[in-house]
Amino acid sequence: MHEWSLALSIVETLDKWALRQEVEVRRVVVSVPSVSQLDVEMLKEAFDMLKQESRLAKAMLEVKVRSPKYRCRSCGYEFGQVDVDAQIKALMQNYGEEYPLHLIPELAPTFIRCPRCGSHDIETELSIKIDEVETT
Amino acid sequence: MRPLLERARENLRGRRVLAVMAGKGGVGKSVIAALLATAREAPLIDLDLFGMAVPKLFGVAGRLHEVGKEGIEPIEVGGVRIFSVGGIVGDRYVVLPGAYQGGVVEALLAFAKLGDAREVVVDMPPGMGEELLSLHRVADFTPILVTTPSAASHGVVKHLIDYLLELGKRPAAVVMNMAYVKCDGGVVYPFGKGEEVKKLVEMYKIPLTEVPIDPRLEDYIGEIYSYRGIVYETIQTLSKVI
Repeated sequence: MHEWSLALSIVETLDKWALRQEVEVRRVVVSVPSVSQLDVEMLKEAFDMLKQESRLAKAMLEVKVRSPKYRCRSCGYEFGQVDVDAQIKALMQNYGEEYPLHLIPELAPTFIRCPRCGSHDIETELSIKIDEVETT
Repeated sequence: MRPLLERARENLRGRRVLAVMAGKGGVGKSVIAALLATAREAPLIDLDLFGMAVPKLFGVAGRLHEVGKEGIEPIEVGGVRIFSVGGIVGDRYVVLPGAYQGGVVEALLAFAKLGDAREVVVDMPPGMGEELLSLHRVADFTPILVTTPSAASHGVVKHLIDYLLELGKRPAAVVMNMAYVKCDGGVVYPFGKGEEVKKLVEMYKIPLTEVPIDPRLEDYIGEIYSYRGIVYETIQTLSKVI
């Protein structure tokens, strides 16, 4: 369900921007981190519903799911999503529908530990961003 | 572009944001914020990401927020609508490198379903860290500073006031918490009379509210919304003038 509030954020942000720029939005590329486990189809469906009567009415949404590269700030170890998949799965089982990283992916270091030294002091790109906008 | 930041700004637009903050920890800021939200029947947003005292004060630690199409549903208890990271992670610790704290604050402020509330009370963490910078990015706010009478506190309060004035945000009040306790017909000042704090507020012309100690308050941790003792009465009086 969180996909709807996220889609609303995207539409509102771009609609205001497009109004200021006096343009219509044709294509939007949004990138989300894979740890958020967002349902891309639901996000697109919500976007298509919410964009009506805005400057995005004819816009198409593309969603890039980023597979983060992590770095442990404590021991320097660099690792990928596959190295923390087991931790993410366990987290999803624990929380079920209320999986916290779905709502706030920036909380990932609270739950994910470095596979080598066990530290939570990890860094990666976790934000949800609008990467590209095409206008007419 | 960062859609969550824009959404957070939109979510707080037109609402008065009362930010309860302190230069240092352990001054009773969350209790003051909780009682202020109770007195004003305003939603309470807990931005103390690591302390998360609000769910404990209201007896809802471990309870998770429901999330709908329109955002995060409040946890409503005793007439107060609460939003907290504690309602996202449950009853567990939060540890975060500084770079992510702002994203968490923005997400919470973006998705909190505030309904028709004309104002919100925000419980800030102590000090001047990322959460304060994030709140400033998102919304205009009215600071309410909490301190104790201790000489150890007034220095950091001065720094906080200086910073806020530089931002153009004059504190609506300084709350001197744990100012005194009535005991055997007399008044005792266990942390001093707060002379330095009094000089400070006089210099900056900021109203001061002295909040007494009420030992019975401890009995209400977990149901603070039902506390109506002397601390609540003092906060209620403060609430009428801010």
